[in-house]
Amino acid sequence: MEVKLDKQYPLDVDADRAWALLSDLKATAGCMPGAEILEQLSDTSYKGTVKVKVGPAVAQFGGTVDVVETNTENRTVVLRGKGADKGGSSASMDLSAAIVADPTNPAHCVLNGSAAVIVNGKFAQFGGRMMVQVSEMILGQFVENFRQTALTLPAPAGSAAGQSGAASTNASDAPKIAKEINGLAIFWQLIKGWWQGLFGSRG
Amino acid sequence: MNAPTDTAEARELALAGMGASRLRKEDARFIQGKGNYVDDLKLPGMLHMDIVRAPVAHARIKKINKEAALAMPGVHAVLTADDLKPLKLHWMPTLAGDVAAVLADEKVHFQMQEVAIVIADDRYIAADAVEAVEVEYEELPVVMDPFEALKPDAPVLREDLAGKTEGAHGKREHHNHIFTWEAGDKAAADAAFDAAPVKVSQHMYYPRVHPCPLETCGCVANFDPIRGELTTHITSQAPHVVRTVVSLLSGIPESKVRIISPDIGGGFGNKVGIYPGYVCAIVASIVLGRPVKWVEDRIENISSTAFARDYHMDGELAATSDGKILGLRVNVVADHGAFDACADPTKFPAGLFHICSGSYDVPAAHASVKGVYTNKAPGGVAYRCSFRVTEAVYLIERMVDVLAQKLGMDKAEIRAKNFIKKEQFPYTSAFGFEYDSGDYHTALQKVLDAVDYKGLRAEQAAKRADPNSPTLMGIGLVTFTEVVGAGPSKMCDILGVGMFDSCEIRVHPTGSAIARMGTITQGQGHQTTYAQIIATELGIPSEVIQVEEGDTSTAPYGLGTYGSRSTPVAGAAIALAARKIHAKAKKIAAHLLEVNEGDLDWEVDRFKVKGDDAKFKTMAEISWAAYNQPPEGLEPGLEAVHYYDPPNFTYPFGIYLCVVDIDRATGETKIRRFYALDDCGTRINPMIIEGQIHGGLTEGFAVAMGQQMPFDAQGNLMGNTLMDYFLPTAVETPKWETDFTVTPSPHHPIGAKGVAESPHVGSIPTFTSAIVDAFSHLGVTHLDMPHSSYRLWKSLREHGAAL
Repeated sequence: MEVKLDKQYPLDVDADRAWALLSDLKATAGCMPGAEILEQLSDTSYKGTVKVKVGPAVAQFGGTVDVVETNTENRTVVLRGKGADKGGSSASMDLSAAIVADPTNPAHCVLNGSAAVIVNGKFAQFGGRMMVQVSEMILGQFVENFRQTALTLPAPAGSAAGQSGAASTNASDAPKIAKEINGLAIFWQLIKGWWQGLFGSRG
Repeated sequence: MNAPTDTAEARELALAGMGASRLRKEDARFIQGKGNYVDDLKLPGMLHMDIVRAPVAHARIKKINKEAALAMPGVHAVLTADDLKPLKLHWMPTLAGDVAAVLADEKVHFQMQEVAIVIADDRYIAADAVEAVEVEYEELPVVMDPFEALKPDAPVLREDLAGKTEGAHGKREHHNHIFTWEAGDKAAADAAFDAAPVKVSQHMYYPRVHPCPLETCGCVANFDPIRGELTTHITSQAPHVVRTVVSLLSGIPESKVRIISPDIGGGFGNKVGIYPGYVCAIVASIVLGRPVKWVEDRIENISSTAFARDYHMDGELAATSDGKILGLRVNVVADHGAFDACADPTKFPAGLFHICSGSYDVPAAHASVKGVYTNKAPGGVAYRCSFRVTEAVYLIERMVDVLAQKLGMDKAEIRAKNFIKKEQFPYTSAFGFEYDSGDYHTALQKVLDAVDYKGLRAEQAAKRADPNSPTLMGIGLVTFTEVVGAGPSKMCDILGVGMFDSCEIRVHPTGSAIARMGTITQGQGHQTTYAQIIATELGIPSEVIQVEEGDTSTAPYGLGTYGSRSTPVAGAAIALAARKIHAKAKKIAAHLLEVNEGDLDWEVDRFKVKGDDAKFKTMAEISWAAYNQPPEGLEPGLEAVHYYDPPNFTYPFGIYLCVVDIDRATGETKIRRFYALDDCGTRINPMIIEGQIHGGLTEGFAVAMGQQMPFDAQGNLMGNTLMDYFLPTAVETPKWETDFTVTPSPHHPIGAKGVAESPHVGSIPTFTSAIVDAFSHLGVTHLDMPHSSYRLWKSLREHGAAL
């Protein structure tokens, strides 16, 4: 089962800090709910796990992530991930992400992501009908974590972006990073989205 | 027993023989939960097997690591193809002349294919250990579409067949091609088309579906290392064939292999084949010297054991401008999955698909079926039908509708015009079948009158004239002929064994009897109906006749129950075995009454001396005498065995009519009326026939309106649970109206033709005919199944009919 996602997330983070985070695979992986980099295999290759919990079902995908391309000039990165779960599922993902500066506001940028995710086995068979929604939810959580982590990075010296970034982030407002993809939360978000869609279309 | 003063009618009624709506003998145990199914069996020391299955549809196996699984407490063995190799059991022959992997050998060919087995103390440990077996795959390009599979640069699916240009059914033209099979006369058909003023063609896809019996497949293999005997309880529709195959594969003499099919919770073709799970459980039991149980779960059943259909069909009809059919041409691309494991008589790789000229007098016809490998599970069984007859009936019935639409003719009128007439029987079709008997015109008229066909058409016209009508009304009509009762051994065999069937009857001294058959009931009610045949033949009350099937150590050899063959083949064997006993009983009666056999008349349950009602011997008296004072020169006892090799198939037929109302806003379909007239020849138990027809119609409803096995491009089966796979319950099932005519088979000893599959075969095209009819005024000639609300909603929008 293949899901293609093409998303733009406007962020209240300047492009430099966002790129600093995105180009650090280990740190970026830390923003992915349930993901963890366990081992660096080479300059561009990592070993890691992703844990997804939906209700009583837990899938733990173990596999590799390769950085296929990093372009500092365009602030783009291309990743390929591949993994399998012991319960009889496998997954692969081709992801390209880019940080685009906001020409009207130097303190803001846009995170562009496009991904092709292929899931096989039980996860595809049971989760197939929810794949798009769940993927969007996971990405949504990822972007929020990404934003909060980026804001904690030291701001570029003397920049306006640094000022505004520092103002919105202080020590007591430490990022609340969701460490695991929680099935109940996913379910709640799905219900909420459906409910809003139902009434939103009439409003 | 019967008092001599009872009238013949009263005594006949008391027998509860043929024609009686006798209550099912099986039900007492089933409704009390006292059935005895494979999974009910618990043997001392029994171990449990579970299967490691492939998550991907096409991949090379790089490594299997079983250390972690073997280290788990309670795990006895983990076996892979490499472990089966020394026994030469990593591949096995299929019924279709191909081979299938028992456990994936270096490569997996479909999702959920068997890769390794785990044997453990209980089912739970086995399931946990399955997750501990680590398999590394290198994924390969997946081919899910048979047309893609036949492209020159398509990936090679069956590397084991590399360089094999000759298959079991002739030349292989391509690395993913299995066979091309043809029937009929191509030159004659082409000539008919060249000369015909009217031609129509239609492409249609008959989706891959699964029989999905309530009880999944499984077995308990029990090898006794001391005696060297193997006893296996198995969910099989053909236990004797299983015994032969197990003996051939294992080298254990057939006399030391005992296969028992206990109560079976539905088969519908799913339980004809021999699956890797059975083979592995048997191997494990032999290796470990302990009983091993394997029972698959629902997901495994739908994903890996035999599917049905998956035919991409192109039909063409040639006709005169007033609707007389002149010729038929059919081209099929058949998706057989990864291994050709279709369960068909050996010489017929497309089964009896060439019954596709249907109930019509078609002068010239040709059919060609191309079998293709893809990355799907193997199978291709007859799901509640005779071999590929459902596909054939669907094709011809759709084509006749398409022709009627092109000519602006009524569906009933065009059928009546092309029917084989009553006086033409026995009728030889352009494909070479010899139809035994039929009276299609009478049956059609009966149905049209019963439903007020003219009134329905008038109502439909009024609805179409009203732009605000909330529904589209459709009327489906199908007039089908089946070919069942395989079959004459000059044409039909399975693995070289002729498709006869058998019966052994023993009448006991006190006048009760036991009968054993080579068939096996899976819900058909054999224990009830077989006894009724004997009751009528021998004058023994059916209540005291035990019917036993399924144990190869006690029953005579038979080819099993599928393809509506039990009554046409085994039913005949029963009647003829009974007649052997009847003949001996007559000799004994003559001896007891001190007259010549010629002076005796048979009446219900006794031989009477002609002209003297007071002088008679009942079967009960004769039975006693058979063991006590048989005439000189006659051996004692009263038993007989008969092996029946049918001279021909039987050809049941039916006329089905369906009225649907499709909601123009939602696409939801209401089956307003379904009228099914069946002619199965002589009727043995009308109540059971009624039940079988209800069941078959309900399964037909399931196939037409909802069942499908959707695959994604990667080969994931997206509907392998009952959450997705449509099994109708009483909530969804419409009301069925049934009717019948009786046209006995002239070549069958009791004139019976078989019935349980007709309603499935006949109803599916009836639903499609009704759905398409609802759209026909918009120029629609065909809509593929399943006719789910969503798909119909899309059709409504596409054709501007949505509200």
